[in-house]
Amino acid sequence: MALSLPPGLTHAEVSFLAEMEMVTVVPRQRLDSIDLLSVSNLFPHPTSRHDFFFFFFFSFFLFFPKLTFPFLSFQGRTPPLRPPHRTDLPLWLALLLKKQRRANIVPPAWLHPASLSEIVHRETKENPTAFSEPPPAPSRADLRNPGRAHRQQQQGNTETATGAALLSPPFRASCTADAPAGYLPYHWLEVAESLLAFAGDDCAALGSAGEIRGLLRDLVEVRAAKMRDSTKTLGAEEGSAGGVVSLRGVGAMELAENRGFVLGVVDGVRRIGASAEATRREEEENGGGGGGGYGAGRGGDDEEDSDEDMGI
Amino acid sequence: MSYYDVDAILTDAEKIPCTFQLEIPDLGYLDNTPTQPLKAGTKVNLPLWLAEMLVIANTGAADNKTFVTFDLPRALANDVVQALKADPRAVPLRDQSAHFYGLATHMLDLSEEQELGSVLRKTFVTRASEISLHARKVGSVSHKGKGKGEGAAEMGSNLGVGSAGEDFLRGLDEWERSLFRKAHEGAKAGKEWIENIKKN
Repeated sequence: MALSLPPGLTHAEVSFLAEMEMVTVVPRQRLDSIDLLSVSNLFPHPTSRHDFFFFFFFSFFLFFPKLTFPFLSFQGRTPPLRPPHRTDLPLWLALLLKKQRRANIVPPAWLHPASLSEIVHRETKENPTAFSEPPPAPSRADLRNPGRAHRQQQQGNTETATGAALLSPPFRASCTADAPAGYLPYHWLEVAESLLAFAGDDCAALGSAGEIRGLLRDLVEVRAAKMRDSTKTLGAEEGSAGGVVSLRGVGAMELAENRGFVLGVVDGVRRIGASAEATRREEEENGGGGGGGYGAGRGGDDEEDSDEDMGI
Repeated sequence: MSYYDVDAILTDAEKIPCTFQLEIPDLGYLDNTPTQPLKAGTKVNLPLWLAEMLVIANTGAADNKTFVTFDLPRALANDVVQALKADPRAVPLRDQSAHFYGLATHMLDLSEEQELGSVLRKTFVTRASEISLHARKVGSVSHKGKGKGEGAAEMGSNLGVGSAGEDFLRGLDEWERSLFRKAHEGAKAGKEWIENIKKN
């Protein structure tokens, strides 16, 4: 146990990653494009923020080159800001400009109270067991807005990477002003909280911050309850569709919060079923047919098995 | 389970009722009769690690007898299993055994109790979601509880779980306590992050 951190990302790391999300800003001052870290420019100026960025990405890159490559190609020149025109910027830069009062942030449509309460309604009434759907694939936003939806297309030199990169969350532009209402993106909680904390006055255009905050709390609670109950299906008897927990549409922060618990439950169920599973395997090896008798343990055990194979 | 896992070691020390099948000389002190051999048919509570060995080991006798046969320990007795079937949440597992699930999985390894396995699994997942609920709610308003598991009483719980919740948490066995700790740490980290977001 050299590293005492639990597996998976911590909340701080998740919210750090969430700062890669693109948000739409309305600049209040002119600003030339900034040359940020990119593949061709791996050594940034030693400002603290960029240093940290650089260190984080580079160490990340060493461990997960495939995962990080899109991030690297995505870095580079920010578009120049000209006051009345909207631009998409990464959240961290947008918040920085916001704090310096050089830009206003246009909150995404899904943060509107009407959209949030629609999602709450969907989560509680229409589909009380599943999580609400993630936003649809980005191609739709692309078609409507070919010139602007994805910044890396303007850069020219990274076009080869765009095809693959479009699919990963920071490139889906799910938090810009063009993002569809009624869908929670992967980083919904982080982005919403940061926007409410640092750009509360911009969010006030949508509705009162208190209302938005209240709806967000409702959503967090509803989804936490679902996450709790999702583990119940692991204990389901034979015949029902037990053992499968669909986590589609769950946000990054919720995953970070519940990872320890869910993995603990799955591991516990696996350990309880281990002996029945061993018996069943023996039986299969010996006679090729387990027959009845061990059925009670079956549905769940197959599931646990595959979990084990994945090394969870 | 690692070699140094304290919980595994303590689980191995749980006693289970065994019946000796052979007469064994010089072991009479196990039955408080130090001068006589231990008679066949004597019931003795043996720790799990020893009972496990004796049950598996072969005596070499022609009729293939083992040294001992064992019964399910009291923690897994029929009345407990029936109570678990009725309502898993109402049974304080810790009163049965601090290492209830550990003991139970060992018993499942040794015996062919398929029903016990499914009852246990249902118990575990049902209680798990309850545990998660409590873990989220414990100390939800004030952070004075410091999050050290059960020590953090229901301060500021807005669920009305109150003393009933405390009783439930007291009845958690070691597996469930670690589950509680994980769930609570996740929820606590989430709350701390939300509170601190303004500061950075």
